[in-house]
Amino acid sequence: MKKFLQKNAPGYVFLAPWLVGFFFLAAGPILASLVLSFTKYDMISPPQFVGLDQYIFMFERDRRFYKALQVTFSFVFLSVPARLIVALAIAMILDKGIRAIGIYRALYYLPSILGSSIAVAILWRQVFAGEGVLNTILAQVGIDGPNWLANPSVSLYTLVTLAMWQFGAPMLIFLAGLRSIPQDLYEAAEIDAASKVRQFFAITLPLLAPVIFFNLVLQMIDAFKTFNSVFIISNGLGSPADSLLFYTLYLFNEAFKFFRMGYASALAWVLLLIIAAFTFIAFMTSRYWVHYENERD
Amino acid sequence: MTNLTRRKMLGVMAAGAGGVAASSLMGTSAFAQEMRIRHYWWGNPSRDERTFKVIELFQENNPGVEVAGETVGWSDYWTKLATQTAGGNMADLVQMDYRYLFEYARRGAIQPLDPYIGNSLDVSNFDQSALDGGKVDGQLYALNIGSNTQVSIFNTRLIEESGAEFDPINWTYEDLMRVAVAVAENTGATFGTDDLSLGYVFWEDWAQQAGHQFYAEDGSIGGRPQDLADFWQMWTELRDAGAAQDGETAISLLGTGMNETGLVTGTTAFSYMWSNQIVGMQSLMEDTVGAGMLPNTGGGSLGQFIKPSMFMSLTRDTVNAELATQYMSDWVNHPEATAILGLERGIPASSVVRDALAPSFTPAEKVSVDYFSAVQGKVGALPPPPPAGAGEVNDAFQRWGTEVLLGNMSPLDAATAHFDEADSILARA
Repeated sequence: MKKFLQKNAPGYVFLAPWLVGFFFLAAGPILASLVLSFTKYDMISPPQFVGLDQYIFMFERDRRFYKALQVTFSFVFLSVPARLIVALAIAMILDKGIRAIGIYRALYYLPSILGSSIAVAILWRQVFAGEGVLNTILAQVGIDGPNWLANPSVSLYTLVTLAMWQFGAPMLIFLAGLRSIPQDLYEAAEIDAASKVRQFFAITLPLLAPVIFFNLVLQMIDAFKTFNSVFIISNGLGSPADSLLFYTLYLFNEAFKFFRMGYASALAWVLLLIIAAFTFIAFMTSRYWVHYENERD
Repeated sequence: MTNLTRRKMLGVMAAGAGGVAASSLMGTSAFAQEMRIRHYWWGNPSRDERTFKVIELFQENNPGVEVAGETVGWSDYWTKLATQTAGGNMADLVQMDYRYLFEYARRGAIQPLDPYIGNSLDVSNFDQSALDGGKVDGQLYALNIGSNTQVSIFNTRLIEESGAEFDPINWTYEDLMRVAVAVAENTGATFGTDDLSLGYVFWEDWAQQAGHQFYAEDGSIGGRPQDLADFWQMWTELRDAGAAQDGETAISLLGTGMNETGLVTGTTAFSYMWSNQIVGMQSLMEDTVGAGMLPNTGGGSLGQFIKPSMFMSLTRDTVNAELATQYMSDWVNHPEATAILGLERGIPASSVVRDALAPSFTPAEKVSVDYFSAVQGKVGALPPPPPAGAGEVNDAFQRWGTEVLLGNMSPLDAATAHFDEADSILARA
């Protein structure tokens, strides 16, 4: 025990703010929501125990639950790779030692700080509205753009674009990863006359794999939890025609619009399990494509 | 000063902080708290300004009393109220809506006002109908702070320029088609009218005109799928004729505020809402607004009704019911307070207040009051309050309506699907 503490104490000190927050603020409500998920609770009258009814209803009869899953999965599968590709591309450009790189890094990081804010979501509405910025630009080149936010077949892409634009956090991590790749590997490749493309696939990607994996897991979890932007952009409804019915938005409306706290709690726990399952799958497959430098194999 | 060390300085600051903490603890002693009541309402900028003025007035007239005003928009209001109900810290007085009144009353979250009537609460000049609207199981749980009815609001300049004429108090959807086409063709407005395909209130009116009570006594949705199909079909025809906004515009306006309606942006000549909003609409426009009833289907039944637009209720968690009801009483009787409030929340229930306000009406208030007088006798009875689940049915209605607006479904298919979904929502709630 003493040895364990000696070895890990600094780690726990760094974790302390988070641990305090978790145990004193989050843990209680999390457990309460697990209990509530087995009840019917409208916030005005006391909760009634209903066993597994909420879960049974969800899987057997709730069509909007499946719709929300479909929308959310589509979003995750589209936005996460897109964001990672953009983040890596920008990181590689910034890695080339441009002058005043600090300014560029800050500039490119800015959207991710602003990204989840209400102001940016409102701005996004303006950009993609029927007579918005995007269509005004398209009109200049003779394209008559649709009303992006009123058309269910394209509305999701507006959210994906917003997610792509918020590449800052993974970009910084990629940048750090790129910096840690030994330069002599590239020099050796140059001598062997390997093309830049070949260098990218043979050196950069494999050595970056742990960082890619880390970013993938974080961004996936993040994407499942997308809420602020979609709440604003779809007017809190998931409209048009449920095409933006993100899981979290559905959960929020069930809880705070229709006062079904029990059902919303059950939805929250199912989301937790889904995220856990995806993270687990990512970890299981990672042994086939992620190699750590200090690994002996 | 030179020998003031850092340590001493910290000691002084700590003592000061302790003193502040101690005095603030005393400031919230039990006695002081009882003279401080909270009033919570959903608002808009104009309503908030008026309400805070009334609060100031009440504090001036009652020294030692403090009223804390808390306001948010409609959609966040109910979330916060439910959270406070669960947490046992509701404000003393809350604004209440007809839709939620029965739920809150029957679950004991708000109190009956009957014990205070004639004591701290004076309702002697109230219309009986206004009192009845706030009763649950025979007891008064909610004080009417304004009444309203559905209204077609129009831009009088555009109507005049269009050259078309109609009688706003008795007109049909054929008249709407004719006038709206004329507006679109002869004026600067892009369309004649806002599209109502996603407006639940107006579908209710349509169904009631077809002779169905909405909601029915047993809590089921009124009308038949065919009625709804007819409603959506008619709006499709209006859109096809260029009289109503196109479908995508109508969809993108879903859930937005009155400042984005076609009437305010000048793209149409007609919008539809509740009559207490006439004053707010006029404040956003330069052209003069007019008010008319909803168009007639020729169905023979009365579709519109007069409804309490807002109530004030005394909550279970009140710290001083006497003071709170006295504040309530001032709200609906005090000459200065009622003058500040005007008609923003609806037509006052007290005949004395109405008469006192009459000479100083603004033009928009005059439109509002004249309209309210004109519809008397032309409206039906107040339907029973919507059942639990009604809000969700409303959302479902908008989803199926969107499919019609996008041309993905025929009006009849969408209507049938909506009725199926509404049945299962109401069965679950």
